[in-house]
Amino acid sequence: MRNYVAVVFNNTSKAYEALHALWQLDDGMEITVHGTAVVHRDDLGYFQVDSKETHPALATAVGVGVGALLGALAGPAGAAVGAAGGAAIGAAAGGSAGLIADANRADTRDEAAAEAGFVLGYGQAAVIADVSEDWTTAIDTRMRELGGTVYRRARSAVEDNIWYNDPDLYPYDYYLYPYEYIPPAYAI
Amino acid sequence: MICSDLECFTGLGALRSVSMGCACKAIPPIGEHVMSMVMTKAKPDNKVKDALDNIRAAAQQLHGAISDAAAKRGGAVKADLETASSKAKALAESAKAAIGGQNEATKKHLTEAVTKLEATQKHAAESVKSSGEAFQTSIKKVVADARAAVQKISEAVAAKRSAASKHK
Repeated sequence: MRNYVAVVFNNTSKAYEALHALWQLDDGMEITVHGTAVVHRDDLGYFQVDSKETHPALATAVGVGVGALLGALAGPAGAAVGAAGGAAIGAAAGGSAGLIADANRADTRDEAAAEAGFVLGYGQAAVIADVSEDWTTAIDTRMRELGGTVYRRARSAVEDNIWYNDPDLYPYDYYLYPYEYIPPAYAI
Repeated sequence: MICSDLECFTGLGALRSVSMGCACKAIPPIGEHVMSMVMTKAKPDNKVKDALDNIRAAAQQLHGAISDAAAKRGGAVKADLETASSKAKALAESAKAAIGGQNEATKKHLTEAVTKLEATQKHAAESVKSSGEAFQTSIKKVVADARAAVQKISEAVAAKRSAASKHK
């Protein structure tokens, strides 16, 4: 089954450990990872998507696409907010793109659960991944070991939202790195 | 860092600009309850890397190299794109050769990947000859084609792995 997975952690280093672990699971043929990125939210509520410092144009694109994807993971209510927020991203700086919009407006876990489940709180980080998995145990178990909370949304459900086929945006997964990319600052 | 075996397979080591993880030992899932233990035991045991896995790794490297090249300025970009064009061609040939013997879903994804790789080669070659705005447009196409090729190859790998797990 093809799913978008978001795994939330309390800090960015753990999120990169998780990103590495996902690619290890792929290497062990437990799952197939099609793309990954790490999104973090600072204490002021700003979202940032890490991307290669070598290509700021792509960093901006990554920010736009992942902004929309974050909204999609938050469910139908979040899709519009996420895509609009993504589109508002300015030029990337220092390898990161700032996402100003609050793609997940719920401030508490319970409120978020009522919408769709996924929420990225202040100071938290999440690995966003596009995966094929025949069972959920491999990811769930490994991510739980690392202290993460796993949220899933079927790709088919995400494809149904209107932003997915927006001609001005590539499909979301184009903004996820199709290989293991970890910025030097978080090298494992 | 580039895996030495992949350099041999693809020659992509010449580009020297891709940062990717190399093959690592997988950490087996540890079930916390009976059901997950059962599911863990039932998972496929076909953990042998094959040509398709190597093609995927090479395509991942190609995408990384092209997107890094796109960020450069001046003649260095064109030199990298010339290399990328020839690598894309070689990769398309490898993907074509790997189609035989695959299941239908894998064949379909690989065929689409070949189309994307050929487009990558074509657009990369066009980029080398263009300049200004045409160059920028062209290089965006190259990056998008390379990304699409990786996507299709990953889907082929997933289809193959899924089919293998059902036969176990």
